[in-house]
Amino acid sequence: MTTVEEGSYEKFLPEGIPSSQMPFWESLRAHDIRVQRCDRCGTYRYHPKDACPSCQSRKATWAPLSGRGTIYTYTVVRRAPSAAYASDLPYALVHATMDEGFRMAAGVAELNINDLRIGMPVRIVYDDVTPNWTLFRFTST
Amino acid sequence: MGELHEAAVAGIYQSEQGDLSTRDQAEVWWEAAEGACRDAGIELADIDGLVGNGPAGIGLRSHMPGAGLAEQLGHPLRFHAKSETGAGSPLAGLNLAAHAVTQGLADAVVIVNAVAGAGEGYTSSDRDTSVAAMAKLSGPYEYVYGTTRVADYAVFAMRHFYEFGTSSAQLAEVAVAQRHHATLHPLSVTGRRGDITIDDVLESPMIADPLHLYDCCIINQGAGAMIVTKATQVASLGRHAAVVLLGYGEGHSHLDPNSMPSMTDCPAAKLAADTAFGMAAVRRDEIDVAGLADHFTIGVILGLEDAGFCGPGEGGSFVEGGGIGLDGHLPINTSGGHLSFSHAGFCGIFTAIEVVEQLRHEGGERQVDGARVGFVTATGGAQQAHAAAVLARA
Ligand SMILES: [Zn+2]
Repeated sequence: MTTVEEGSYEKFLPEGIPSSQMPFWESLRAHDIRVQRCDRCGTYRYHPKDACPSCQSRKATWAPLSGRGTIYTYTVVRRAPSAAYASDLPYALVHATMDEGFRMAAGVAELNINDLRIGMPVRIVYDDVTPNWTLFRFTST
Repeated sequence: MGELHEAAVAGIYQSEQGDLSTRDQAEVWWEAAEGACRDAGIELADIDGLVGNGPAGIGLRSHMPGAGLAEQLGHPLRFHAKSETGAGSPLAGLNLAAHAVTQGLADAVVIVNAVAGAGEGYTSSDRDTSVAAMAKLSGPYEYVYGTTRVADYAVFAMRHFYEFGTSSAQLAEVAVAQRHHATLHPLSVTGRRGDITIDDVLESPMIADPLHLYDCCIINQGAGAMIVTKATQVASLGRHAAVVLLGYGEGHSHLDPNSMPSMTDCPAAKLAADTAFGMAAVRRDEIDVAGLADHFTIGVILGLEDAGFCGPGEGGSFVEGGGIGLDGHLPINTSGGHLSFSHAGFCGIFTAIEVVEQLRHEGGERQVDGARVGFVTATGGAQQAHAAAVLARA
């Protein structure tokens, strides 16, 4: 995938991410996705959270993921939020249930939107959109 | 100390709805507040409590809306409170106002939602500006992928279709019924465009699969206001039937859809409804008219199921064949709702005002015969925060 200079990327980049959540974004940048996992009860936390929804422990480890899951739901966007996204239309947004048991949402890569089905297996790939920011996307397995 | 149902909606007002970009927000705020006072039969000077926002101030001072209003009313306000639940704020505000009145903290509380002027972000009358601002409501973990508020609800609908066989034609029934209601309301944004058919909805542009353009709320500006006093005061003034708050509940759920245990049912919405019905000691089948949060057609179907008017997955068949029309088994959003009446700002106020008009028997051509008990929900964000109320004609 093509990387562009920071200044010329016109889609939305993450803003206001607290330092406590940066390990997630750094893991994407390293192409080694990691998600908080509760040190006390093992529950995964995504999006990152201060406290575990199961046991309220504030302690967690950034745990690696299989990167595999199945589509829980999806949509195909045909009206973009801004001009920068309009050139991609139509594009898909997928919510997948990861093999570890929680959901993650992302766009897709190298996947025909007409082939999308709930229940379809997907895996994570990385998209280095700028020198500082990497996103993940879902593609078919 | 009084019971909740000793408080009543005494006054209501709705301004013109549409493009108010050439008007000043504060001017529209005052128009709405004054209109609700006139409807209640009181003066602006009688207001001694404020819930929510006052007329827009400048800078940090505007974060003290009670003080900002008090200096213009010429006397100290006795009460201010605010609920941060987005579109649901005014319905949550009705509960706060009712508590203030029944606890002796205020005698006349005003709640105003006013959106006008050039507007920034989602209060803009400009569709592109508003859509872009609402895209970021989903937060950075999702908006980087180009989410929109439509897409946020589209994924709920897609999953509902998958689990229960709900169809686009069933969603369209909601849009068709509510557009018809809007044609009977002189202030509605879309009413003058006339009725639409199920085919019109299905043939309207797809915005985010499976939601078509007519499955989506409108984008507009406008104002609405309510005055809350003791029910005995409404009765003694004799201008309208008092509409009292019989029961109220909230359910705060999640910031991001990723954190929802399920996208087809929402425990927080059920909690809000169950709390309201329980407090009111009213059964679902006693509800004559309802206003359900309808940012998108799927919202009404989810709302019917979560509030217990039908079982899980039965919302689609509930709305079929005019089920939520004026002659249906449960008339819903009889002004046209956010889909067709108004979706300005904290738009839950319009949903509540319509149910109040119905319970007063002031609905004109839209009147549901003999309506005595109503149910209202308001939802902030993508199923994030829920408020539910049972209202009754005293
Ligand atoms: Zn835990």
